[in-house]
Amino acid sequence: MNYPQALQELIDEFAEIKDKMEILEYVYDLSDEVVEFPIAMWNDKTRIMGCQSEAHLEVVVVDGIVELRCGADSKIVQGMMGIITIAINGRKAQDVLQLKPDFAQEMGILNSLSPSRSNGFRNIFDKVMSEVRMKQ
Amino acid sequence: MSLKDDFPILSREVNGHPLIYLDNAATTQKPQVVIDAISQYYSNSNANVHRAVHTLAGEATEGYENCRRWIKSWFNAEKAILTSGTTEAINLVAYGWGRANLQPGDVIVLTEMEHHSDIVPWQILSEERGIEIRYVPVLDDFTLDMDAYAVSLENAKLVCVVHTSNVLGVRNSVDELISLAHKAGAKILIDAAQAVPHDKIDFELFNADFMAFSAHKMCGPTGIGALLVKSDAFEQMQPFMGGGDMIESVTTSGSTYQTNEHKFEAGTPKIAEAVGWSAAFEWMSAIDLPAHHERLLNIAKWTADQLREIGCTVYGRHQSGDAAVVSFLHPTIHSEDFARFLDAKGFAVRTGHHCAQPLLNRLGITGTIRASFYLYNTQDEAEKFISTVRYIVGKFA
Repeated sequence: MNYPQALQELIDEFAEIKDKMEILEYVYDLSDEVVEFPIAMWNDKTRIMGCQSEAHLEVVVVDGIVELRCGADSKIVQGMMGIITIAINGRKAQDVLQLKPDFAQEMGILNSLSPSRSNGFRNIFDKVMSEVRMKQ
Repeated sequence: MSLKDDFPILSREVNGHPLIYLDNAATTQKPQVVIDAISQYYSNSNANVHRAVHTLAGEATEGYENCRRWIKSWFNAEKAILTSGTTEAINLVAYGWGRANLQPGDVIVLTEMEHHSDIVPWQILSEERGIEIRYVPVLDDFTLDMDAYAVSLENAKLVCVVHTSNVLGVRNSVDELISLAHKAGAKILIDAAQAVPHDKIDFELFNADFMAFSAHKMCGPTGIGALLVKSDAFEQMQPFMGGGDMIESVTTSGSTYQTNEHKFEAGTPKIAEAVGWSAAFEWMSAIDLPAHHERLLNIAKWTADQLREIGCTVYGRHQSGDAAVVSFLHPTIHSEDFARFLDAKGFAVRTGHHCAQPLLNRLGITGTIRASFYLYNTQDEAEKFISTVRYIVGKFA
């Protein structure tokens, strides 16, 4: 599918990295890309169930434009949130809802996208989409 | 030729690095003879067991019952019920023995160290039957509070306790636990899932009433395990799964059951898995388990010391008899991140609560990184592991 430019650039950059450790390091660095969601605001409703780490998010939609605020105690999980932030923040809600999670596999950051209790990325993605759908 | 050569999976690479498999407390790898036995069974002997008279059915029945003979002889047990694993074996005690013998107000004693599979069935039964559950606390030295245990036994009908903790590797004082339970008039179930891979337990001498374990933690296939039962407890059990193979006769007005272990093995059993497990027993019979246990415990002890030196907190004590399990946490690198970095370098370790949340709550943590060693692991692998841990800590801490 056609991805937004910022996400496509990210996918291309990941495609050039072959070493798994370097991929993880890059994801780790992307943890800085999130819009901060203060720990004081974390609660059961903001929690991403199924993540081994403590990960929370909220989605705000103002004038149809999406903003994801999030954070996690695992830097890699927060890095995955950073990737989703790059993919959706500042975009129209109806465009965001067209996005499929397959790009995570294209980036090589996941072995599988199957929904399971250990699949942090899929759980984050699904929760973001459900919040966007609810708040659009 | 090293022991490792018997395990084809151990020659593969993961993320461009030779696989170093340290997730043995979750499941062990399978030697070629086990893989071949399963493949041979499906290639040559596949049929359903017990009823038919044709040759294949005879071979399949012989293969299945041969596994039971291996279990009985390996553990010196009179009754061995084949189950899908430890979890089903414990559920069989809950529903097969518990429902028939426990009344509202009766007491079951568990510990804070139990795996969820030795907690949840009892919680379900407790809700159904109004049974009281008492939990024996874990002390700061990672052992059970034996004084509290003695007190908890008052009016207890059943004790269910883990032999060796899957999180800590700590071997409990099982002989004392069994003897005190019996003195109090209670039966006792031992969850031996983490014990049987390291210790060839003599069930008769051991004197527990029930013992549950799985094949896959001792080089056998997944999907099969066993419940050993003392004869008097066996007589008190009622089937909780009905179906084919477990009956003597069925009429429209009712059924009568088999009197042997088949009574608790309704439906087509795990035939290929049983054949594979027999091959695992045969392979393990050539292994000096006590010598390996000591060697692996020394590796675990060395690894734990190194991790402490690096600044990690280690949960466990690694004393004589304990399993070679090293649970640890780094103060600043999240356990899940740590495990992903290790995976990127070819190491398979476990993270999370290891299905023992009450224990982790007691320890004040939500998860650990767990490296667990088995027969094919070496000191050299432990050294590579520590060197990679140092690299990760140097880069990300």
